[in-house]
Amino acid sequence: MTVDEHTLVLGVETSCDETAAALVLGGDDVISSVVSSQIDLHAEFGGVVPEVASRAHLESLNPVVARAIVEGGIDPSRIDAVACTIGPGLIGALLVGVSAAKALALAWDVPFVGVNHLEAHLYAAFLEDTNLQFPLVVLLVSGGHTMLVEMRDHGDYRLLGRTIDDAAGEAFDKVARFLDLGYPGGPAIDRASDAGDPDAIRFPRAMMDDGLDFSFSGLKTSVLNYVRREPDVASVDVAASLQQAVIDVLVHKARRAAHEVGATGIVLGGGVAANRLLRAEIAAACAADGIGAFLPSREMCTDNAAMIAAAGWHRLRAVGPSPLDIGAFPTMPLLDQALIR
Amino acid sequence: MLILGIESATESVGVALGGHDGVIAAVEIARGRRHAESIVPAVQFVCRQADVDLAEVGVVAVDIGPGLFTGMRVGIATAKALAMALRVPMIGITSLDLLAFPARHSDRVVVPVIDARKGEVFWAMYRHVPGGVQQVMAPTVGSVEDLAADLMARGQESLCLGDGAERHREVLADVHHCEVAGPRHPSAGALVELAHARAVREEFVDHHEIAPVYLRVPDAQINWSTRQVRP
Ligand SMILES: [Zn+2]
Repeated sequence: MTVDEHTLVLGVETSCDETAAALVLGGDDVISSVVSSQIDLHAEFGGVVPEVASRAHLESLNPVVARAIVEGGIDPSRIDAVACTIGPGLIGALLVGVSAAKALALAWDVPFVGVNHLEAHLYAAFLEDTNLQFPLVVLLVSGGHTMLVEMRDHGDYRLLGRTIDDAAGEAFDKVARFLDLGYPGGPAIDRASDAGDPDAIRFPRAMMDDGLDFSFSGLKTSVLNYVRREPDVASVDVAASLQQAVIDVLVHKARRAAHEVGATGIVLGGGVAANRLLRAEIAAACAADGIGAFLPSREMCTDNAAMIAAAGWHRLRAVGPSPLDIGAFPTMPLLDQALIR
Repeated sequence: MLILGIESATESVGVALGGHDGVIAAVEIARGRRHAESIVPAVQFVCRQADVDLAEVGVVAVDIGPGLFTGMRVGIATAKALAMALRVPMIGITSLDLLAFPARHSDRVVVPVIDARKGEVFWAMYRHVPGGVQQVMAPTVGSVEDLAADLMARGQESLCLGDGAERHREVLADVHHCEVAGPRHPSAGALVELAHARAVREEFVDHHEIAPVYLRVPDAQINWSTRQVRP
């Protein structure tokens, strides 16, 4: 099939705790994007409970897809392909989306495309800025991932660095829970930091000048130890100081990565990319270095299906459809495209 | 009216196509590849073998459990999406109804027993009555000892079917008047036949109304060390 600017892709995303569907035309024109969040269901557990997530996906998926089609104002017969996250993520959650998406493709007699969730995050920025020039450095930060990726072209990536232990968002989640700041941790730390002093406590900046990999588990431990030692410390000061430590490392390394590969700019992606201080500091660093800063909106940074449809469109054009006997790959790495076949 | 049946609540996966003249094509995979990989290809296969275009399907029937959560969800998600895309109604039937179906003419109490893992089973009880089958005990979950005690108290001739009955054959064999026999798994053929009877009575539901029968609340025990990642 010809994949061009008229090709309309339905994206489906169920890898964690958001059920999402979106219609994207030509790989970058978002016709509709619907996200049904399960945050309230998981809040009482302080984290995502896989079985709760899977049940909610099964219940929400059809209505979410139907809404994306209605809001797009199109007839389903106009859809040219169905793209869906096949990994990484929670296996039971992924399987709901993959099963439904393959069924939709079969019933509509259109190609199915399996999409890597991490690769899709790289495409979120392209949905809002179609003039991005390669090479780019993408800083992908979420509760599950912290990585720096060089994007040399569509589908052509090089992993520059990644966390060797905890993800940045994981450190936020754990500290927020420890300080009783609320769930999810990222937004809670962001909010609490407003009232705190980022210089109150000097937490460690691990591996600052040591390659492009990250390490956040020592930082998390040091925060927890500090609070146990100084129980009267203001939570907002701890939050602000932790946030500053994490962001200092992220910005420092992203900047160096961009310099090393001669990137035209830095692209932010992942749930933590919604953090206001991170956005401000990346923007300032890029301005100082004379390169672009591409900061997708909060809706595009966090999990959504428009990025899945966009990545699916590129994959369909470059590689073609995926077979209908494909399953889900919970630990799929960014660069192992062979899994999608 | 052409019915497509999808069944994946246990280790087995089945897809069948049929209607007024019974089952016209069926695939049963007793134990093989994971459910999500095989269901859609199985749908394609039965359609091709029966020379039927998927668009001709008028009803999508599905096994709504109880059973293995991930497996049954794969079948239900597939069936619901097909029904929505094809714009056809659905019929949901429990795995226990399906398992009891082949023994519907037995004059004993028919007890389908599905392995629920963690030492438990799902079961229900049925009795032959003039003109059909009556459920004498609603689907439930519990230990096989609970089931054995219940059967013992009833003191009636009973027939236990299914992978749960096979797994706990020794416990059930101790029960007086109780026999363990096949089949091991619900079948998609039974699903199509039972769905046809309901379709004749126009007992359809919309895809929004298909509700899985879990019989167990999610195991929400989590702690910091076993937290799942947020990709
Ligand atoms: Zn994500």
